[in-house]
Amino acid sequence: MRAAALVCAAALALAVPAGVLAAADAGPAKSAPAAAALTVEQIVEKHVAARGGLKKIRAIQTLRESGRMNEGPNREALVTRELKRPAHSRFEITLQGVTGVFVSDGTQGWKLNPFDGDFEPKPLPEEAIREAAEQSDIEGPLVDWKTKGHALELLGREPVTGRDAYKIKVTLKSGGVRTEYLDAKTYLRTRSDSTRTVKGRPVQVTATFGDYRKTAGVAFPRVVEIAASGRPQTMRVIVDKVEVNPPLAADRFAMAAAGAP
Amino acid sequence: MKPLQVLVFTLFMSPAAAVLSAGVRADEVFLKGGAKFSGRIESQTETMITIDIGDGVVGVPVSRVEKVVKGRSPLDEYDERAKALQAQDTDGWRALGRWASHSGLSAQAREAWQKVLMLLPDDAEARGALGYVQQDGRWMTEEESYKARGYVKEGGEWMTRAEAQMVQAGAAADQARQDAERRANQAEADKILAEQRADKAEERARQAEEVDPWTTMSPWYGGWGYGVVGWPSTATVTTRQGTRPINTVNPR
Repeated sequence: MRAAALVCAAALALAVPAGVLAAADAGPAKSAPAAAALTVEQIVEKHVAARGGLKKIRAIQTLRESGRMNEGPNREALVTRELKRPAHSRFEITLQGVTGVFVSDGTQGWKLNPFDGDFEPKPLPEEAIREAAEQSDIEGPLVDWKTKGHALELLGREPVTGRDAYKIKVTLKSGGVRTEYLDAKTYLRTRSDSTRTVKGRPVQVTATFGDYRKTAGVAFPRVVEIAASGRPQTMRVIVDKVEVNPPLAADRFAMAAAGAP
Repeated sequence: MKPLQVLVFTLFMSPAAAVLSAGVRADEVFLKGGAKFSGRIESQTETMITIDIGDGVVGVPVSRVEKVVKGRSPLDEYDERAKALQAQDTDGWRALGRWASHSGLSAQAREAWQKVLMLLPDDAEARGALGYVQQDGRWMTEEESYKARGYVKEGGEWMTRAEAQMVQAGAAADQARQDAERRANQAEADKILAEQRADKAEERARQAEEVDPWTTMSPWYGGWGYGVVGWPSTATVTTRQGTRPINTVNPR
C-alpha cells in the first residue's frame, strides 16, 4: 500500500483555501478592464465579489468539504476537510477502509495516522502546524488581507491554461509567500503556487482550480489538481459535497489525549 | 522499542479471500482520536482486535479503541455486487470498478478492472485504471512510462533527474549537519566522562582514607552505574560505545 505517499499528498490538499473560484469553468467571461487601469486592491475587490461577495463569505463560520482524491491507479482515497473560525482545521483521509486524522487549532496540531503505524495521537511538526494555520483561513487570505497583515504585490499578467490571469504575490503575515493567479476576466482564482514542506524538504507546489459551483451563494472549486515540481504524478481532488455552516463541535479540533487509557 | 509498531498494523495481502468471504457483517473500529478502520472483525481478544480491511488484516490494540460499530460497509456492497456478476459481464465489472474506485476501495477496484482487462486486453479505461500508459503504440506500466520519460526514483518517489539531485544534495547536507552534531555530542560526552573519571578517582581516594568502600557503596556509582535512571528518554545519542538513551551520561 502506498498510503504514506497519499497522506503526504493529503497534507498538500490542505493548501486549498475555502471558497475560491476557477475561471476556466466559471461561466461566460465578462470583458476585462485594461490591466494598467486596475490596482491590486481593485483586482482583489473584484475577486471577492466574484466569489459571492464579502457578506456571504463572512457568513461562513464552519465549512465541510467531502470528496475523493487520487494520485493515479490504486491510489484512491476519500477525503474530508473541516474548517472552523478562527483557524481550526481537521483533515481526514480514508484509504482502503483505514482513516487517518490530521487536526490543528491554529496553534497546536496533532495527527492520528494509522498509515504510519500510529495508534496514538502524535503532535504535528511545527512546520506542519504553521502550514495548517495558513491554510485554515476559512475565507482565504485575500479577504480582508490588509487587516490580516498580509502584503500583496501585483506582478503582472500571465496565461494560465490558456487564459490571461493577474499574477499576485501574497506575503502572509506569518512570512509564507504564495503566488496567486486570478483570471483577468472573471477575477476568479485559477492557480496558486507555493512552497510546501514534503517529507521534510521544500517543494514547489502548484494547485489549479476548476469546476466552480455555488453553495450558500459562495462559489467553491470542485476540482483541484496539485502538482509538485519535478514529479510526474498529479494529485486530483474532486469535491463531491460542500456544506456551509455545518455544526462542528469544538472537541473535533481539540488535542486528543495521547496514551490515554 | 515501540511495542505498537511491533504488534500492530501487520498488513498483508489476502485479496481474494478477503473479498470473497461472505455472510459477515462489516464493522467499524474507531480509535480514540478519530482514526477508524472499516472492514470485518476477524477476531477479538482482551488486547487486540483483528480486522480485515479488504486488502489485508490489521491488528488494532484494544487499549486504543473507543468503540466498535457493527454495520454495512462499502466492502459488503462490493462483495454482493461482485458475486452477482457473471465472469463475462464486462459492463458490470466496469461499473463495479468505477464504483469501487470512487468508494476508496483500491484493492477491489483493481480486481474489477483486472476482470475487464482479461476480457478486453486493449480496453483503455481498464488499462488506465490499472496504471498502464500507452506510449509509442504499446501499453506499459506506470513505472515503465516514467523510466521511458527520463524520471528516476528517489526516496520512493518518481522525479526528474535534476530534482533527484537536489534531494540528494539536501540529504547530504542533512547528513553533514547530523555528523557535526554527533561529533559535538561526542566531544561533550568525552569531556563529561573525563570529569566523572576524575571525580571518581577523587572520591575513591577520599573513601579509601575514610571507610571500607564496599560496605558504604553509594547506589550512585555502584550497581546503578552512570546509567542511573531518572531521565527516561526515547531519544538516543550515538557514542563510540554504542547507542544509549540521551542524558544518561551525566546524571544530575
